[in-house]
Amino acid sequence: MLKGKLKLPRPLPIPDQLGSLIAGGSESEEFEFGEELEPIHPAALRLHRESDDAEEAIDNDDEGGGGGNGMDHKTRQRLSKDTINRVSVLKSTSEEEKRSDLEHELSQREINLEKLQRIASTGIPDGGGLRATAWKLLLGYLPSSQDLWEKELKENIQKYSNLKEELLLNPSEHIWREGKELSSTNQHKEGDSDGLLRRHEISQEDHPLSLGKASLWSRYFKEAMKNILLLFAKLNPVICYVQGMNEVLAPIYYVFTIDTHKQNAVSAEADCFFCFVRVLGDSVDHFCQQLDNSSSGILSTLSRLSDLLKVNDEQLWHHLEFTTKVKPQFYAFRWITLLLTQEFKFESILRIWDTLLSNPFGVQDMLLRVCCAMLLCVKSKLLGGDFVANLKLLQHYPEDINLEYLLQVAQDISPDTSSYCLSL
Amino acid sequence: MSSSSGQSSGYDLSFKILLIGDSGVGKSSLLVTFISNSVEDLAPTIGVDFKIKVLTVAGKRLKLTIWDTAGQERFRTLTSSYYRGAQGIILVYDVTRRETFTNLSEVWSKELELYSTNQDCVKILVGNKVDRESERAVSREEGLALAKELGCLLLESSAKTRENVEQCFEELALKIMEAPSLLEEGSTSVKRNVLKQKQEPQASQNGGCCS
Repeated sequence: MLKGKLKLPRPLPIPDQLGSLIAGGSESEEFEFGEELEPIHPAALRLHRESDDAEEAIDNDDEGGGGGNGMDHKTRQRLSKDTINRVSVLKSTSEEEKRSDLEHELSQREINLEKLQRIASTGIPDGGGLRATAWKLLLGYLPSSQDLWEKELKENIQKYSNLKEELLLNPSEHIWREGKELSSTNQHKEGDSDGLLRRHEISQEDHPLSLGKASLWSRYFKEAMKNILLLFAKLNPVICYVQGMNEVLAPIYYVFTIDTHKQNAVSAEADCFFCFVRVLGDSVDHFCQQLDNSSSGILSTLSRLSDLLKVNDEQLWHHLEFTTKVKPQFYAFRWITLLLTQEFKFESILRIWDTLLSNPFGVQDMLLRVCCAMLLCVKSKLLGGDFVANLKLLQHYPEDINLEYLLQVAQDISPDTSSYCLSL
Repeated sequence: MSSSSGQSSGYDLSFKILLIGDSGVGKSSLLVTFISNSVEDLAPTIGVDFKIKVLTVAGKRLKLTIWDTAGQERFRTLTSSYYRGAQGIILVYDVTRRETFTNLSEVWSKELELYSTNQDCVKILVGNKVDRESERAVSREEGLALAKELGCLLLESSAKTRENVEQCFEELALKIMEAPSLLEEGSTSVKRNVLKQKQEPQASQNGGCCS
């Protein structure tokens, strides 16, 4: 039924959301958005799949306590590929190494993007603003030549404030602002609030997706967040604001705001806006109702997930789709549109995004593979579950899942039907 | 019959309930209050969320599978698939926001007609947020008039104070049980489950005999 729907291409009332964004901007030529997904070259992907036993093992990990060893082993195995010939290093040591590798890479005048992707895909260490810089590079927001960064960032701040000026402030606000600025310059200096959220003010548990009213994020977040989303909505009137976009913005905003570099923190809002647009770049159509039935719409993406599962595990696919009738639109709609931001703990989301953003074939390609891996990693539970149990499991994905293993499964998944057939 | 199936599966009847209505009227809050006795800050529902509640109504153990749908218009194309097989539908509006009320009669009730596969499907109209009486924008009389038009019951509730929360699910369940065709559906889905459970151990026993 889903497929039947997908075959009916509707006339698209929207020319091109990204185009409309460009058209809305004042300096249109400088908006450069997410690249098109490149064709996938099967040979470039590691196709050694973990055996089914390993999947069983992870299911067992959920239930029993003895999962730790398996995880450490796996993590080491993978890390040792990236660091040079070091066997059985402690995790903390390899974290340190990764950090220095990354610092070294990011200090180069000319950044090697492939190298960066390789390191970042195994997870970027917290702290030191590494993640913020890496994400900006991975998203193509920062050019690979370090000499251009300062100029680029300055221009972007200017571009952003122009956009805000043009689209978010109405004439009466302009007048009000001018008056206020004159009278409040002194006040502004007195308080420590220069409009920035300070790192020490944020606790670990508190992050942009915290819902409590006491959350510093939810208070501070609102203004900058609102600006970014409002601007996006004004520039994309057909999509406007869709619930959940805030959740996609949250990881970016968090990472950029707690960046330790003073200058970066100042430009956080502008950087966030442009990177948010880039993150949504290859999936913005998922938010658009009119495109639901088009090839770039959410229904088509959901059926691609279904195909991916079928190719990688036909038994599980059959059990979900036919035996228990747990359709992807019941659970994966949220997974995909929100880039998994509602399914995991916040620090896990950041880790997953390291992998999503460093995929040479684009965010969506990796996202679908992670979604598929999420199914494979709870395979035995799903096979034993009925409709209700399975939907419950997938709508509340187990928190104790071994994330590194999950991401490894995702990396190793056969990318799509055609290449899978070729590899047979 | 009901007692024996009740013992083996934990309930006598199983029904599918759907919550619909505009964004922010409190569908998820009503459901969370009903399920967990707690009032929480909730993020907007994306797509669909669903919960299970087992309760006793009129001496029968019922299992309600409650589908909580996203209210924002963007998600509406997906909603159609959620209506399938629902025995009860709760239409929720916010008594302090008039447009959520008019949208029920102009948008949601039409959608329901279009997608609901059950002829006898029972509806209930719920005006939520009555704890904010001073901000009320839809009178009780208007609510009653719409309920009459839709041929269903009206309840005014507050997920915050829990007023009428349980009642709206219980009333709906009672009405469903009054409809013979729905009652039949509710018990066959239980029987099917019981049958499955019985078949599986038998199969393994046979296997044991053969080997």
